[in-house]
Amino acid sequence: MDNINLFPLFLSFRVAFTATFIGIVCGLPLAYLLSRRPGRLSDFIDTLTNLPVVLPPTVLGYYLLVLLGRNSWPGKFLEEQFNIMIVFTTTGAVIAATVVSIPYMIKASKAALSEINEDYLNAARLLGRTELNIFVTIMVPIAWRGIISGITMSFARALGDFGTTLMVAGSIPDKTLTMPIAIYDSLQAGNYNMANFLVLIMTSVAVAVLYIVNRLEKKMKKG
Amino acid sequence: MYRKFFASVLILMVLMAALTGCNSSASAPKETTDNTAVKKTGEKITVAAAADLALAFKEIGDLYEQTTGNEAEITFSSSGTAREQIANGAPYDVYASANIKYVDDLIAQDKIIADSKELYAIGRVGAATLVSSPLQIKEASDLLKPEFKKIAIANPDHAPYGVAAKEALESMGLWDKLKDKMVYGKDIQDVLTMVKTGNVEAGLISLSVVNKNEVNFLLFDDKLHKPLKQAIAVVKGTQHEKAAREFIKFVNGEQGREIMKKYGFVLPGEV
Repeated sequence: MDNINLFPLFLSFRVAFTATFIGIVCGLPLAYLLSRRPGRLSDFIDTLTNLPVVLPPTVLGYYLLVLLGRNSWPGKFLEEQFNIMIVFTTTGAVIAATVVSIPYMIKASKAALSEINEDYLNAARLLGRTELNIFVTIMVPIAWRGIISGITMSFARALGDFGTTLMVAGSIPDKTLTMPIAIYDSLQAGNYNMANFLVLIMTSVAVAVLYIVNRLEKKMKKG
Repeated sequence: MYRKFFASVLILMVLMAALTGCNSSASAPKETTDNTAVKKTGEKITVAAAADLALAFKEIGDLYEQTTGNEAEITFSSSGTAREQIANGAPYDVYASANIKYVDDLIAQDKIIADSKELYAIGRVGAATLVSSPLQIKEASDLLKPEFKKIAIANPDHAPYGVAAKEALESMGLWDKLKDKMVYGKDIQDVLTMVKTGNVEAGLISLSVVNKNEVNFLLFDDKLHKPLKQAIAVVKGTQHEKAAREFIKFVNGEQGREIMKKYGFVLPGEV
């Protein structure tokens, strides 16, 4: 088991955890708004948030490269003013992973939040609760299974992203080389030990995630 | 409901068009498919070719079709990717690698018809910068300048031109100083994309993919790295062995050699 470098493994988990955290912070409020405010704008935002699911990862990667690359307006501004580069860095990898994974978080949470009976919420409003209080103390506890299912799916998607991350973060060894790209590179270089080891980890994570999601969905159906 | 959906889709499409339209400097890599007017009556062969052959083999493929009436469908990728695919039974007829070793690997695995192997080119590597960039390279050590923040290289773990570029920089004593600036691409086409989109100041590519209208190029001395011997062969199990062998003959024939020379390859027998 020599020539196994564990850096891609740790980086991938770090990136996936960060992306999932950002997904929760940004995705959950958005899911709440989408579930409670039907309308044209809501439909449009819903379509936008689902776009990363249907667009090929390389197309997404290309869009991000154009939007955040060193020639883009924000890219140039950040580099000239603060000497910060988004592409070819772990920040780029996190952005890529967030963009590809956040739809799963929003979709599952929105579905779970939509199913909450409005009467509970109106009762709480009559008792003078604020919307934030209602969300945290009533909605989340009722919809937690759907939310956890979304978090798990989005974590798995963030962990497994290849195409988008490759375009935005490159594949710099010991800097931005994530697990899926390391698998690809190892196969190219004929380093089957490393490839098999990482494939085994990715598969275990995928199986665990699907198992958790299935269990939660079963519980949700039972109520 | 449907109206909303279609309106959303329409707005999205307009947004995307605007997004790509606003950034003309970073044009997406274009796939060109030339429909030659020649009626194809012969066989159709599929060729897995190294990324450095993108320009030369497009031209050779067209000429081969016009001359023989056979059709050549050429897929360009990293030589390592193609080797892996063929090792796992990909139904290509011809494998044109940027590294003779990969062909030998496949011969050892009994995936290539051994007697069909031919050397067809020796590659040259160097550093490219955008013509429009204020940064230009007169000598390799210019890459050390702080203005060169990022330099793209094809992955030296498996891409032949990445290996050669790294060897050349090591021979010049520059690799260790430049290592931290390096960004890895899958192959030289990937590197070229990074250069063209302005995401790196310089890229290490093959002479064969240099378009003088787009990039300025500093050719590295070929004594600085092991020779980039490129070999081509027929894949075992092909249904079109005769046409595949003909294609190889065509590449190494008078017309093929002329095109390869035009794109900066050194030819077998010329060294």
